[in-house]
Amino acid sequence: MREISYLEAVREAMSQEMRKNEDVFLLGEDIGVYGGAFGVTRGMIEEFGPERVRNTPISEAAIAGGAVGAALTGMRPILELQFSDFITIAMDNLVNQAAKLRYMYGGKGKVPMVLRTPAGSGTGAAAQHSQSLEAWVAHIPGLKVVQPSTAYDAKGLLKAAMDDDNPVIFYEHKLLYKTKGYVPEEQYSIPLGKADIKRKGKDVTIVATSIMVHKALEAAEVLEKEGIDIEIVDPRTLVPLDEETIIESVKKTGRVIVVHEAVKRGGFGGEIASVIAESEAFDYLDAPIKRLGGLPIPIPYNPNLEKAAVPQVADIIAAVKETVQFK
Amino acid sequence: MAKEIFMPKLSSTMEVGTLLQWFKEEGDPVSMGDPLFEIMTDKINIEVESYEDGFLLKKYFEVDDEIPVNQIIGYIGEKNEQVPNESPGISSGDSQESVSAVQQETSIETDTNEHVYSSTEKVRATPAARRVARENQMELALVSGSGPNGRIQEKDVLQFLLHHENEVKITPLAKKIADSNQVDIASLQGSGVNGKIVKEDVAQAIASHRQDTSAPVKRKRLSGMRRVIGERMQQSVNTAPHVTLTSEIDMSKVKELRAQLLPIIEKQTGYRLSFTEVIVKAVGVVLSRHASVNASLISDEIVYNEEINIGLAVAVDDGLLVPVLKNVNTKGLAAITREAKEIGKQARDSTLQPQQMKGSTFTISNLGMYAIDAFTPIINLPETAILGVGRIQDKPVVINQSIEIRPMMTVSLSFDHRVIDGAPAAAFLTELKHVLENPFELLV
Repeated sequence: MREISYLEAVREAMSQEMRKNEDVFLLGEDIGVYGGAFGVTRGMIEEFGPERVRNTPISEAAIAGGAVGAALTGMRPILELQFSDFITIAMDNLVNQAAKLRYMYGGKGKVPMVLRTPAGSGTGAAAQHSQSLEAWVAHIPGLKVVQPSTAYDAKGLLKAAMDDDNPVIFYEHKLLYKTKGYVPEEQYSIPLGKADIKRKGKDVTIVATSIMVHKALEAAEVLEKEGIDIEIVDPRTLVPLDEETIIESVKKTGRVIVVHEAVKRGGFGGEIASVIAESEAFDYLDAPIKRLGGLPIPIPYNPNLEKAAVPQVADIIAAVKETVQFK
Repeated sequence: MAKEIFMPKLSSTMEVGTLLQWFKEEGDPVSMGDPLFEIMTDKINIEVESYEDGFLLKKYFEVDDEIPVNQIIGYIGEKNEQVPNESPGISSGDSQESVSAVQQETSIETDTNEHVYSSTEKVRATPAARRVARENQMELALVSGSGPNGRIQEKDVLQFLLHHENEVKITPLAKKIADSNQVDIASLQGSGVNGKIVKEDVAQAIASHRQDTSAPVKRKRLSGMRRVIGERMQQSVNTAPHVTLTSEIDMSKVKELRAQLLPIIEKQTGYRLSFTEVIVKAVGVVLSRHASVNASLISDEIVYNEEINIGLAVAVDDGLLVPVLKNVNTKGLAAITREAKEIGKQARDSTLQPQQMKGSTFTISNLGMYAIDAFTPIINLPETAILGVGRIQDKPVVINQSIEIRPMMTVSLSFDHRVIDGAPAAAFLTELKHVLENPFELLV
């Protein structure tokens, strides 16, 4: 069993596809010789050349606009944004062009592009380079939103994203780049909209995204020793959302905690909680649905405060205990 | 000044009461403690007593009226005192006063207000707890919650379901009172801490005539017809000493007769001749020879009726009607068949006229369509007797020292021993048997 890192899994997914499919190319800031802000594309320009691994000016609006145009005219671009915070600059092209055109052209045009971008805090990059803004794009019909939590998922989901004829926002997590896991050498695809049960349990369901999957797994280890059996559901894609897997899990456990790193207020956890409350799982709830998310503050520069601003393992353990207290 | 009489509020859930009967008329003198009227609530029937001395001045409502709680029903006051022509509406008086005016089964007083509070308070429970309660058709209010702020969790409901029968929470005093009054503790709803049954809960159960307040038993008001049937049956059983004679009749020849006449009568009338009509005809003919069985006992007089009018008991929805076939002894089978079928239909369609149900001198109740052999019919007073007809069934009978299979029918004659004795009744039944076994005698 070969283990590679999350970062290598992303690179491998792109390289394998680019060897097969001439239409796929990369564009982004310093993704050539430098290999991008986190080194994901390192070595790719040597293999595929500057035509297919294109350095761009420092303009996310231009990168996104160029990608939309290329996609509309038959290419399958993958654009990289150095930090997902900068998606705000690309937002007009994403929201008003990429997401809309296939609908507005009645299906005659399509926008098969993938926007890869690292999100999240934990690197000491402070307020403008540490956010988790996935809820912004999840709100827009026409955009698919992916948040892989493991190397295996990253490779399979990126393959599915590249194969998709719609714009896909592919959120990588900075702290996950170094995490290793079993990843098959050959290409494989994980369908968008299929959640993964990362741990089976019976007492509480934790719906966790991205890095919070790992924190939840850690919490589950601790709680297992206290006799609390956690089930962890990783939606993997926010859009489309695998509601069925979440609902079935909650029906089984009767208790649910939704955890994400993004600010809790207006975060996607609210959407997941609502889906549960509106579903038949409602009648199985034996405790209020609980959400854990970031505090409503910009990510602080101080490392201790930075940690305190987003849910940690201890927070998850406390939330679980509160939820199962009356079981 | 005239005092109001108003609809008392007898339970926390009572909103209206139905007036069942007045015990007093307008102008009657009443004294404190006299029963004034009877009402029916959603739970009980109860007599309401007067708590004033004076005269009943006004009755604003009639029997069967549904009257809201505290609505003024009437007035008691001095003779000829003036009161409004119409009910002035809701009483301004204190409703507690009316409760104390109600005839109490026991002297134990209860605080109804406290109960109202506890039963209307919204239950705090998780959706899962509610689902389990719903699936088990149980009252969540009975469960004490272990969650925050007393929230009922799923496990609380499950535990309650598991234990509630053998682990009813009750104070020792309440248990003692309940035991001595034979109150079923399991049916009580505790108002104490954590749903514990306290003395007041038991007292309330006793006060409400041990009516179970939690179990939703189907209740239906006695319909007018049922009430009449009940009264008449009760009166008959109470006043007439009943004796029932039974006899088995070989119906072979009646069957032959019916088989031959059926097409003829059907052609004439469009109705199919049934055994009932043959029996009616035979009873009519035999009654003409047994005047005492056709008599009526009316206030110490035995009236020997000239006419022979047979009442036919007809089952209808939720009741029983007895339309009358007049002068059956003088009518042919075709006429009897037509009349019997028509009144039977009218009875079932509820289109009978009152005069069609009057004047019977003898009644026949036929249960032959059921698996009934014999029964003890109750006499339709003031008649002297009633004939119960059972089914016709093939049976082995001894005929001339050999066993033959014959269609046998059992008839049951109940008679009023005040009017006749066993011998004449037996003679009547014997002759009826003879006529039905030899139906050509009907021609005589």
